[in-house]
Amino acid sequence: MQLIAVSDALPAHALALANTDDVLALAHGVRSAPAVVLNFPKWTDGRAYSQAVLLRGRLRYAGEIIATGDVVVDMLPLLRRCGFDAARLRADQNPQIAARVMQSLPAPFPGHYQGDVLGSRPRFAQFTA
Amino acid sequence: MYRYNEFDRQFVKARAAQFRDQLQRHLAGELPEDDFRALRLQNGWYIQRHAPMLRVAVPYGALASRQLRQLARLARRHDLRDAGTARERGGFGHFSTRHNMQFNWIPLTEAADAMDMLAEVDMHGIQTSGNCIRNITTDALAGIAPDELIDPRPYCEIMRQWSTLQPEFAFLPRKFKLAVIGAHEDRAAIAWHDIGLQLHHDAAGAVGFRVFVGGGMGRTPVIATLINDFVPWQQILVFIEAIVRVYNLHGRRDNSFKARIKILVKAEGQRFVDAVNAEFAALLPDSPHVIPQAEFDRVAAHFVAPVREPATPKTATTGAMPVAYSRWLERNVHGHKLPGYRAVTLSLKRAGLPPGDVTADQMDGAADLADRFSAGELRVTHDQNLLLPWVAEHELHALWMAAREGGFATPNIGLLTDMIACPGGDLCGLANARSLPIAAAITERFDDLDTLYDIGDIDLHISGCINSCGHHHSGHIGILGVDKDGSEWYQVTLGGSDGSTLSGAATPGKVIGPSFAADEVPDVVETLVDTYRRERQAGERFIDTVRRLGTPPFRAAADRVRRSTAAPVVA
Repeated sequence: MQLIAVSDALPAHALALANTDDVLALAHGVRSAPAVVLNFPKWTDGRAYSQAVLLRGRLRYAGEIIATGDVVVDMLPLLRRCGFDAARLRADQNPQIAARVMQSLPAPFPGHYQGDVLGSRPRFAQFTA
Repeated sequence: MYRYNEFDRQFVKARAAQFRDQLQRHLAGELPEDDFRALRLQNGWYIQRHAPMLRVAVPYGALASRQLRQLARLARRHDLRDAGTARERGGFGHFSTRHNMQFNWIPLTEAADAMDMLAEVDMHGIQTSGNCIRNITTDALAGIAPDELIDPRPYCEIMRQWSTLQPEFAFLPRKFKLAVIGAHEDRAAIAWHDIGLQLHHDAAGAVGFRVFVGGGMGRTPVIATLINDFVPWQQILVFIEAIVRVYNLHGRRDNSFKARIKILVKAEGQRFVDAVNAEFAALLPDSPHVIPQAEFDRVAAHFVAPVREPATPKTATTGAMPVAYSRWLERNVHGHKLPGYRAVTLSLKRAGLPPGDVTADQMDGAADLADRFSAGELRVTHDQNLLLPWVAEHELHALWMAAREGGFATPNIGLLTDMIACPGGDLCGLANARSLPIAAAITERFDDLDTLYDIGDIDLHISGCINSCGHHHSGHIGILGVDKDGSEWYQVTLGGSDGSTLSGAATPGKVIGPSFAADEVPDVVETLVDTYRRERQAGERFIDTVRRLGTPPFRAAADRVRRSTAAPVVA
């Protein structure tokens, strides 16, 4: 996960979507964009997680996915597992804590039960391989 | 019971460590309450009226004696205070209707230590609150009920694992509750859940799920809709994923009272079903979450009966049984799949203690009973009791004696005093009114067992507010605390059902007139019950008579006991 400072610009030609946009209906535009910017109007509004999962999983989108808006450091593990590459944190977030939270990824967790769009298999796959 | 492996154990310890870090940042002023709230909720921490409340998950209700003893230690070490009234001293837990245990007096500064203690015995508060997939509930008789077709527990465990820290669905529009059954009888009120699942066989004998979506209580009670009659068990995680994704993307977020999936299902109707089916069809071909047979077998191996040999046949009873014992056999002892065994409810509905409450000493006592009589296993029931699932028939009398000693043998299961009640305004920060004094007054009023037995089967459910933790909508008699101008009032409903055979198809009760004053409520309950006793026909239970007569005669009787809420007489 890359952190984008509040003062830094987002990548040129990035496609910014509202969290009410239907990413599947916009597949054509998405595929030609080098980056897609997804928005969290409130950090507890989880729609953009599903948008990112659909971009990565359904559309096989290989460009960059960036989280913006009300993004707090404790979202970073979830963002990563849903296929985000980068996040622009809310202005009041402490970059040192963000770095610490990111460094500890995926630790201290020994792994996760579900598979995800990064290609991780579900935990049960190891018992049945 | 499912036994944690090293991965599972490390996982809950990691979660406890993550919570400790968040708590420390909060206490150090680095994580404001507004941001901390959603994080603590997903670990089971509410801020309540007096102190934080911790909600501990007992996944699908299965509890080991060693875990219950640890909950007792937790109650003594962190919940007990050296001040206040008897109830304010803490040192007790409260079983909710969703296989959770709640503590009310643990200081927030000790919250991380409490989570570490839970992790030591493979327990946690993960997703017991917050707008995420909550603790999964099932039939308290899962795996032992004589009417069971398919044991739901392995499926519940697989769903528990899949839903635990599922990253996409951590911040849904609103809370999301699943209930699963595998028997003919619905003992888990599945139609009242966001997703209700019923295991059954198709014509070819394959196992799958009937899937109901969009049930829920709260301000707008809705019964779930059947959206798929048979999802093969291997595909159930994928089907649930499709439902929750459609909900996450399209559920309302502008008004928390309209944010549950029930509102989306009602508003969209067939379009919702079509969207779920389209998402499911798109997911299925590549999904890594189709459950392999080997994984099912691995999990199912945890749920073999802990008692192998049929127990020694019951010895013939000589002489007359004491009435108290035969009553206990009638109400608290249930049939079992295995010959020679019985399931036994330990009643947590007794005078002097709120429904579902257990003190630390009682937790130890119940754990001892489980070790001695039930292979160390207990179940937390949907109606706030404990249940011993593996009791040999020939030990019933010894168990009865021991349960009486421990205060668990009140022979009232299914009767009026076996009521469901939330903690209400005494403890809960959300409540509009108190539930516990109402529950206590009714328990006191109906302390005569002969009367209780004459009234027979009846579901009395009490909620302190419209959030409906006390399931008032599904009670044959429902009592809802409401606030008007800063004082407590109680709305009474009649004829609700949880969906059991006794109660009939799930349905919300009907309100019988304006709210009552607190001191009128026991009289209202008594007159409703008296109306039934007067009007009933042979063999009719309370709910049958209510259905036959409708609410008017009951409403008229309730109006006659009004005092402060009576309409002023116009001269």
